Amino acid sequence: MPLVNIDNVHKYYGDNHVLKGIDLRIDAGEVVSIIGRSGSGKSTLLRCINGLETYSEGGIIVDQMEVTDDDSQIRKLSKSVGMVFQHFNLFPHLTVGQNITLAPKLVRKLSAEEAAETAREVLQKVGLQDKFDSFPGELSGGQQQRVAIARSLAMRPKVLLCDEITSALDPELVGEVLKVLETLATEGMTLILVTHEMNFARDIGDRVIFMHQGKVWESGEAKAVFANPQTPELQTFINAVL
Amino acid sequence: MDYNFQFSELWPYTNLIVDGLLWTIALTLITTILGCLLGTLGAAARAGRNKLLKHLVGAYVELIRNTPFIVQLFFIFFGLPSIGIKLTAWEAGLLAMVINLGAYSTEIIRAGIEATPKGQLEAARTLGLSRVQTFIRVVLPPALQTIYPALTSQCIIVMLGSAVLSQISVQELTFAANFIQSRNFLSFEVYLVVALLYLALAVLMRQLFKVVHYYAFPNLRARK
Repeated sequence: MPLVNIDNVHKYYGDNHVLKGIDLRIDAGEVVSIIGRSGSGKSTLLRCINGLETYSEGGIIVDQMEVTDDDSQIRKLSKSVGMVFQHFNLFPHLTVGQNITLAPKLVRKLSAEEAAETAREVLQKVGLQDKFDSFPGELSGGQQQRVAIARSLAMRPKVLLCDEITSALDPELVGEVLKVLETLATEGMTLILVTHEMNFARDIGDRVIFMHQGKVWESGEAKAVFANPQTPELQTFINAVL
Repeated sequence: MDYNFQFSELWPYTNLIVDGLLWTIALTLITTILGCLLGTLGAAARAGRNKLLKHLVGAYVELIRNTPFIVQLFFIFFGLPSIGIKLTAWEAGLLAMVINLGAYSTEIIRAGIEATPKGQLEAARTLGLSRVQTFIRVVLPPALQTIYPALTSQCIIVMLGSAVLSQISVQELTFAANFIQSRNFLSFEVYLVVALLYLALAVLMRQLFKVVHYYAFPNLRARK
């Protein structure tokens, strides 16, 4: 059974049909990049996977849990699905350590020591072990995003959703964040990324999903998709971004 | 102008003035704490999902913000006994002040809550925090940071408003002034001194709020 099973998902914003029957199966350990123009529905699809957006038809099952907009179901899902956002969304009034330990303590019911231990471990992973007591406002964008990744990891998710996580960063800071993702990918973390980093999608990703007009327009093994686009839409897109 | 200033005539009343000042400080301190607490609960209710509660709190806020404080005070002190609720002047005054600050701070804190970026809520939701946990741990602290200056001002306004309690014989600072003035008719001297004391108290309060701010919001101190 795949870790993420998306079955014929439709979504409407009013009359606007933004997802038109998405079918997608993602296995544990896969690194899947969702690419496409803005407005193609890729972020919406990603946000449906952890219940941040509701869908109108079809079904999504993650880690054998059905995704619904029910609050208690979303709390359950939070233990399996992590998410990193474009704008980091760190809690500004909490230190890095507090940001990371908050959910493990409140949701996973870890003791303060266990949570702090976890925090140090995930901070180590993103290379920021010395920032435990810093506030987000003291960090660069790249560092903040790495903390946000660490915060997600502390919940021990089985899949990490990344919603354009390098788009808000200064160009020179993109590399350090991608490097963290690369490490996670090598360690076998399941990653689903909406991204404009085509090189990353091609070189690190296992699979690429090209979305166009609310549909999975084309998909396949990452390098092959970039080397041999089958549709003129993907061809145009690749020419525009690469 | 041939008025002969007689500030020294106030000396015999020092005790009265100090007592009044202490009453004013005590009333203000208790009101600030209870009023802000009430305001936080009110703001939470207004941001919450319970429609009935939301509208009840809305009605409370509008009722208090659109009626004179002295009328609220008189209603509590003179009106409520008619339905069997008898309060001492001190209790009635404190209650009126808390209810008053509660209404204004509800609106102020609500504004801070509404300024919460959507991303903060999404992050909290994604991490699995419940609505209550999200409110207390994620929404409220930055909201209070945002509206802190407005809340400070409101608490000072309520402190100054406590002067009205003299009308139901709560022996706070203005009551003391009225009393002294009725004895020696030195209105200029008495009210000038008392006005300066209120001014000093307001300045002191503002400083005190700054100290609290410093310790309550360490993230604002830390900047690269």
